[in-house]
Amino acid sequence: MLRTWFKGILTYRPGRLLGSISGVALTVALLASLGAFIASAGASMTQRAVQEVPADWQIQLSHPSDAKAVKAAVGKATPYTALEQVGYADVKGLIATAGGTVQTTGPGKVLGISAAYRANFPLEFRQLVGANQGVLVAQQTAANLHVKPGDRVSIERVGLPPSEVIVDGVVDLPNADSLFQAIGLPAGAAPQAPPDNVLLLPDAQWQRIFGPQAAVRPDSVHTQFHVRIGHVLPADPAAANQFVQQLAHSLEARIVGRGIVGNILATRLGSVQADAAYGNVLFLFLGLPGAILAVLLTMAIASSGANRRRKEQALLRIRGASVQTIIGLEAIEALIVALGGVVLGNVLTLAIHRMFLPGNELIGKSALFWTVSASLMGFALAIAAILYPAWKEIHHSTVVSAQATVGRGRKALWQKVYLDILLLVISGVEFWRTASTGYQVVLAPEGITTTSVNYEAFVAPLCFWLGAVLFSTRFLEGWMSGGRKILARMLNPVARELSGVVSSSLSRQRLLIVRGIILVALAVSFAVSTAVFNTTYNAQSHVDAELTNGADVTVTGSIMSAPSTRFGELQALPGVAAIQPMQHRLVYVGNDLQDMYGIDPQTIGQATNIANAYFVGGNAQGTLAKLSKQPDGVLVSEETVKDYQLKLGDKINLRLQNIKDHQYHVVPFHFIGIVREFPTAPKDSFLVANRSYIGQETGSDASEIVLMRAKGNPEALASRAKTVVSSLAGAKVTDINSTQRTISSGLTAVDLHGLTRLELGFAVLLAAASTGLILALGLAERRRTLAVLAALGAKKRQLGAFVWSEGLVILTGGSLLGVILGLGVAEMLVKVLTGVFDPPPEVLSIPWGYLVLLAAAAISSTAAAIFGTNRLFHRPAIEEMRGL
Amino acid sequence: MIESLVELQNIGKIYWRGDAEETALVSATCSVKPGDRIALVGPSGSGKSTLLHLMGGLDQPSTGSISWPGLGTCENLRPQKVSYIFQMQSLLPPLTVVENVELPLLLGQIEATKARKAALETLNRMRLNTIADKLPEELSGGQAQRVAVARALASRPQLILADEPTGQLDHPTAQHLFDVLLDSLEGSETALVVATHDQAIAERMNTIWQMQHGVMEVVTC
Ligand SMILES: Nc1ncnc2c1ncn2[C@@H]1O[C@H](COP(=O)(O)OP(=O)(O)OP(=O)(O)O)[C@@H](O)[C@H]1O
Ligand SMILES: [Mg+2]
Repeated sequence: MLRTWFKGILTYRPGRLLGSISGVALTVALLASLGAFIASAGASMTQRAVQEVPADWQIQLSHPSDAKAVKAAVGKATPYTALEQVGYADVKGLIATAGGTVQTTGPGKVLGISAAYRANFPLEFRQLVGANQGVLVAQQTAANLHVKPGDRVSIERVGLPPSEVIVDGVVDLPNADSLFQAIGLPAGAAPQAPPDNVLLLPDAQWQRIFGPQAAVRPDSVHTQFHVRIGHVLPADPAAANQFVQQLAHSLEARIVGRGIVGNILATRLGSVQADAAYGNVLFLFLGLPGAILAVLLTMAIASSGANRRRKEQALLRIRGASVQTIIGLEAIEALIVALGGVVLGNVLTLAIHRMFLPGNELIGKSALFWTVSASLMGFALAIAAILYPAWKEIHHSTVVSAQATVGRGRKALWQKVYLDILLLVISGVEFWRTASTGYQVVLAPEGITTTSVNYEAFVAPLCFWLGAVLFSTRFLEGWMSGGRKILARMLNPVARELSGVVSSSLSRQRLLIVRGIILVALAVSFAVSTAVFNTTYNAQSHVDAELTNGADVTVTGSIMSAPSTRFGELQALPGVAAIQPMQHRLVYVGNDLQDMYGIDPQTIGQATNIANAYFVGGNAQGTLAKLSKQPDGVLVSEETVKDYQLKLGDKINLRLQNIKDHQYHVVPFHFIGIVREFPTAPKDSFLVANRSYIGQETGSDASEIVLMRAKGNPEALASRAKTVVSSLAGAKVTDINSTQRTISSGLTAVDLHGLTRLELGFAVLLAAASTGLILALGLAERRRTLAVLAALGAKKRQLGAFVWSEGLVILTGGSLLGVILGLGVAEMLVKVLTGVFDPPPEVLSIPWGYLVLLAAAAISSTAAAIFGTNRLFHRPAIEEMRGL
Repeated sequence: MIESLVELQNIGKIYWRGDAEETALVSATCSVKPGDRIALVGPSGSGKSTLLHLMGGLDQPSTGSISWPGLGTCENLRPQKVSYIFQMQSLLPPLTVVENVELPLLLGQIEATKARKAALETLNRMRLNTIADKLPEELSGGQAQRVAVARALASRPQLILADEPTGQLDHPTAQHLFDVLLDSLEGSETALVVATHDQAIAERMNTIWQMQHGVMEVVTC
């Protein structure tokens, strides 16, 4: 009996069997590859965080004499690859005499480092001018003092007479924030700004100069150990963070009272952890609907054989099979589907991995976890999809289930209790509640190293999604029963003389049709929301990169060697679409030194994108026009406006350095607007003014920055620009593509390309499956109806009218609904993930190419199903007819 | 001489099931004329259904020739000229009774309002107007089969082929169905060929064709 049954399944139900296997395989592959992607994204985030941290730990010693003991303790707590002792000394100021004028700075810091430091912690310095050993002065300090290699600088020690050194080189300190961070501050304390004036000395010279200062003012001199730990970290950012913190705690326990650990690596991993959490959120939002859809598809395929199953079961029972035997036999089918689906799913996952995520190994604990979980899910799905309907079939009267697909309409429980409306209301209330407090999906309170996902933020979108689907079901069912006449008119071009009958037929099968529409809608909305979100995301990450880099290609230099002196040559380069000079000066707002950008408001937009979101009020054009009308106008950042309680139109006095005497002089401005972001500008506080006015008031119209829009490849233009400015000391050329690759803050840094391609591929597959496959299986169920029609004398075209009408109603209804739903989900996703975008996108980007591809897939799959069915009924279905 | 509706000449039919061949009809020669009332009887598997399918142009014979002198060509027999009545429930489940009955008319390109009128008339005639708006699932077996008869009659065909139309019904219901069918055809030129196992029904016809292992012997009453 078993063998016959087995053979029977394979010969009479190959469609359903293969369909179910594919459904399970798709589910398994989707879950496993998404999981693997998330895991590998987390691992690469950890890896990058580790690479980007200039020094893992900075251990501040209570007293220099503890050095030996602390060093030994470090060695016991963790293996390390580098450990450097660094001296930090506070000074009252630095003085330099250059070009006949005397320059004095405010308080600063002088560091003492060993000759090996640079090699061990290469990310702390960047050599700009002169030597990279000896006495090095920070770029900003060199600018303030007007010194270059060979000049003398006098260090004003605390409590001691000054001491003089000769500058060997100028360096940039790209990681000054962590280099000078205050260690041991309580969590949550405001971060300290790095000092404006910095000098670096070889450790012996530093000892000579500051040993005496330590004796008189021990509070003004500190010693730190900078450590790079030698452990292999866990791949997951959260686990790595925890691990690194545990190491630090164990060290702190050993050196209690003698030093404090500044755990820079843990801080960095903490912020990466937030990004990883966002990654998981994305997975939930974008991947889960796909997985749910794959599950629903599998269920639909498995249940599509209901009528046949009923007959088979009846036959078996007549032949004396017990309920247990029947369930046993169905269990065998479920097992075949489960095994086949899981194996195929894993093969698919491997193939996908090879194709979309090359270079990432599938092994590793988290990937294995995902593979196993996905496989278990597949097993459970197969059992549930096949055994449950079979079981229901046995325990319920067959008449009831036979009537379920055709009828005058009975309301489902959720319709009676208005679950759809309830869900939509909950979604609305929840959305309003969360939106009013600012949408925060990932909670990363400053100073606290743990991040958590705010799952309450999901209630609104989830309820919206479910509510919208259920409401659409209710609406469509209502419309299909009430709007039969409209349906008939719509079907007229296809069904012609049969449109009335066809629309009646569809209307009475609305449960089935609506199920089809909803499945197609889910598939389309999955594809649309994923594609729209991804395109918006990519566009935004481009905007982010442009904002950071300034333009496609940006040349930066100093006032003494300004890139604007090569403006003509740069402009003449092939591949330049537009070019604009921009000043970058330092300005005193009260006692704060801030960045000021001098632009031509009317033309700056030619070379770089000036978005509305950059300005309070959201009007870029208006704000720039206002600035160009008022020569002494200035745009101020929000923070400064708050700090100085400025009102629009206020006159403000700023101090700018004049080229002639190198002194800061008062220059009056009028405050005309608030700026949030600006190309190349820092995040916190800066100002934007007219280039001509700044030039006139400072005696120099030189521009430290040149922004270029590229016609072709920005990288190619950048390399041409490099040759032009190679003779300018300290000039730097950057391009948007490399910037985009290296931006390391925010989720926009996560490379979503792999995920994108993966999901878009699945979405097309699912869309094709839900249109064609479901239609084909549904039509196969209606072989009998079609056979009757053929026997009654329906011509090929008339049979086609029935089939095409159904296909078109499902396809167009599903696509329309899916597009609406998908755009809604994408919009909501962008809203919920606003925290990811900085600045938030102004509009959703629509990936037309992909949508066309999607439509083509859905249409051709529908057409294939219909033509397949038509072929089946081209010749009279004698086999079917004999049963009539 | 009256023109035959359908003429069969030495018709044979062989089905192929994989490599094995199954002979359904060995040889059948016969013709149906307007007004004929023919019963097709014979044991199960003797080829009755096969013969009906061939006469209705649903299938092609393997040997011999078949023609429809009074009806035209194979392509335009259905739905206007030839109607079928099947043994099993053959109403389309999602359509109401009246929609089922008008279906052959619509398939025959008759205008919707005219088709509806003709369908309702037929139902009236057969006293089925009270159930016109019911769905097939809401009918009894006998009612459903009477609707199937109404559907066959609605297009006023010249030939009705019925394949055990009462096979699923109990005896009194079957007799009643036949009363209705024969009443409706009373005085019309429409020919009727009924395949049946029911001796009582066969005896109400004026011609009986006996089938045996795919061979036909004509018995005229
Ligand atoms: N499509 C087919 N493929 C293979 N064999 C067929 C097919 N249709 C009919 N046969 C065979 O042809 C023979 C005649 O079948 P047919 O259905 O005409 O018999 P019948 O007289 O109508 O029987 P019943 O009274 O049971 O309806 C049978 O042996 C049957 O198995
Ligand atoms: Mg038969």
